Amino acid sequence: MTKIKVLWLICFGIVGFFLAFPFIYGGRDYEYIMHICITAFFYAILASSWSMLAGYGGQFSFGHMGFMGLGAYGTALFSHYFYLSPQPTGLCTEFAFGDKYFIIKNPIGVTSSTLTQDCLTKAIENWNGSVEVTPMPIILGILIGASLGALFGLLIGMLVLRLRAAYLALFTLGFSEILRATISAEIDITRGQAGIELPHLFENGVVLFGHEFTKTDKIPPYFVMFFLLLVCLAILAWLAQSRFGLFIRALREDEDAAAALGINIVRYKVLVFVITCTMAALAGAVQAHYIGIITPNNLMIMQMSLVVAMAVIGGLENFAAAAIGAIIIEFILELLRNSFVIGGVEIDMTIWRLVFFGVLLMVTLRFYRNGLITPIIHFFTRAHVAAETVAKRTRESSSNLIV
Amino acid sequence: MEFASIFWWTTLWLLFWGIVGSIGTRRIYLSKDLDTSNAVLMGSLIGASLGPIGLLILWLKTPEASKKFIILPSLLTVGILMTAFALADPENNCVSNSSFVLSQITNGLIIGIIYGLMALGLTLIFSILGVVSFSHGEFYMIGGMITYYVTVVWFPGIPPVLGIMIACVATFILGAVFERLFLTPMYDGRIERPVEYGILVTFGLAFTLMYFVQAVAGSNPVKAKRFFDFPRIRLPSKEDPWLIKTSRGNMELFDTISISNPRFIAAVISILVLLGLLFFLYKTWTGKALRAVSQDREAAAIAGINPHRMNMLAFAMGGMIAALSGATLVQAFSWLPHVGLIPAMRSFVIVVLGGLGSLPGAFFGGIIIGLVEAAGTGCVPDPQKASSYIPAYGMIVLTLTLLLRPTGLMGRRFASGTHGKL
Repeated sequence: MTKIKVLWLICFGIVGFFLAFPFIYGGRDYEYIMHICITAFFYAILASSWSMLAGYGGQFSFGHMGFMGLGAYGTALFSHYFYLSPQPTGLCTEFAFGDKYFIIKNPIGVTSSTLTQDCLTKAIENWNGSVEVTPMPIILGILIGASLGALFGLLIGMLVLRLRAAYLALFTLGFSEILRATISAEIDITRGQAGIELPHLFENGVVLFGHEFTKTDKIPPYFVMFFLLLVCLAILAWLAQSRFGLFIRALREDEDAAAALGINIVRYKVLVFVITCTMAALAGAVQAHYIGIITPNNLMIMQMSLVVAMAVIGGLENFAAAAIGAIIIEFILELLRNSFVIGGVEIDMTIWRLVFFGVLLMVTLRFYRNGLITPIIHFFTRAHVAAETVAKRTRESSSNLIV
Repeated sequence: MEFASIFWWTTLWLLFWGIVGSIGTRRIYLSKDLDTSNAVLMGSLIGASLGPIGLLILWLKTPEASKKFIILPSLLTVGILMTAFALADPENNCVSNSSFVLSQITNGLIIGIIYGLMALGLTLIFSILGVVSFSHGEFYMIGGMITYYVTVVWFPGIPPVLGIMIACVATFILGAVFERLFLTPMYDGRIERPVEYGILVTFGLAFTLMYFVQAVAGSNPVKAKRFFDFPRIRLPSKEDPWLIKTSRGNMELFDTISISNPRFIAAVISILVLLGLLFFLYKTWTGKALRAVSQDREAAAIAGINPHRMNMLAFAMGGMIAALSGATLVQAFSWLPHVGLIPAMRSFVIVVLGGLGSLPGAFFGGIIIGLVEAAGTGCVPDPQKASSYIPAYGMIVLTLTLLLRPTGLMGRRFASGTHGKL
């Protein structure tokens, strides 16, 4: 049996383990562990798509969390403000849509006296329950959120990706901060720091294999997130081994050389940026529906640094390593939550664990450039042999040039 | 509210002709085989300020893009925008209240000088290492934190200058140690893509420092005392209107302009440091060596300058300058572990606006951003939203810069290494 087959076996083993996990695990903290799993998958999507952008394409975006937030807020606002009703309300902005009426709720503030004062609630009160108002389908909201991410990715990509790497990092950092500031400031529409509530992924419950799950059960969102992760990984794997992957790796190594070989470098950079931003937005939209609330703090740069740390510690230049790294780190982060006391001084681990990960991030970057998971994968694929040869050759040739 | 539409329509008109100007001018200059490097900027500005007529004349005559054709239309564009705003909202404080306007401009200038100083550190690092330091905001934050701890918690009553100096020394050492430990492999080809490594590792440092300070100092806002009280002065002493009047925390000039004490002190310190820095960079051997390395690494090495040592010096000094602006501002704003983010972004904007790697560009960029932010916070009708959108004003400037003139105001196009490339 060759090593590559072992690698495939391990892959199937991991997937199989996660498929079976919700059914075989029976601990008392079942809900909690499941929640960590779902969050870990969410971060795995972010980290692996970010590693495609940064590791393969060489484009460093610090706005990945911003795009995640775009997706989440896109679907949140969509499900919060748009409804279908068989009868006109006469109060809201509305227009005929087939035989139904498309209703746009008016934005209201967050003060407690106005919470139930929106036009739709008033209309429902007037109808006394005679009219059934349908909210928009959640899947449509998620798609809208994802396309919002794609749209902004396209705009920012076209603006900034003509320039060198540092500009993208600068601009996206600013973009996510502006987004956060906007969402916090436009209290009327987004409810600001209070956060906006979303319907659950399966608001009316769902029947799977003859078992009925309620909206708060963890198993349906677990599988939704897990399959989303698998789909994203499959797309990334296909991209990485196709001509597209070759092109973006070529332009990472040397843009001028790639352009000279006939690659439209701006187009491919924009393309990889749009694809990864869409993935981030998609993951954000699904996660927001799972959690049920989204606040502007989810977009903060600290969250972004966590994604960067996960991708780098896992292995920046291998999306699968980044995904595995994200899952492992998410679990370690949760395990390290317990504070303890040394010599009368209480160590608040909720903060210190992040310091630890910051140091680990820098040390990994400095000494294990490929991350901690990639070498294991390379052990099986023997990719390091090729890489070492290339590195040895470049070192020899460059040592002749640079004195 | 019906007047507000004037403003939006004018903005739309400016935008439309600006876009037409930028695209059309580029086409026409290309077809006539002329230099397009500044033509896009000129075309969009002339389009925005003079509309179709100006563009027609420009396209028929196709003059060389000179300073005259850029500065005049840009002033005109700003003038048109301001007139439209004044017509749209005549009740607004920044239209009707001239003393408010003067105060805002003065405060904008003052804060702009401080911003410029901080951005100077970033541009110093970039021009020598070729790395955009993403930990710049954290150096700023640490500078303020150390000054707070020294002057308020550990040694109350110590002269604040000493606190600032301790903060400077500490951050200088921190920057130097970090550079030695983590940035050295960038220089000799041990890292394949040094620019990207630099971005990531400084980002990692920012992450670590932010949480480290949060773990040590907690996340409650702190604020240092005023460093220095103004003496009570009133000149001339009896007459009204006075020329200058000070109370302990505030200073009023000409009965109209009000400047708060902490900002004034911070600006004075900034100007002193700036002068010292200019002296250092242009008159001393080390400073000249630094500038030499930023211009041409290999040539500097041949002339006997050790570029690696200059890298260390530049990173440590850049961090120290950021810390210094933090140390001077800790008396003006309340301080939190993540307070550095917005100043860091502002420095990025300033540095790109002034031209990555350009020292005078950073200074003028700082003043422009200071004025833009003052105008933004003063003129946006809803004051609460105006202050939450502070980072957005800079981003608008950044977007316009990247669209119209990615090299920045004073950017060098053909510098050594990766620095001058876009």
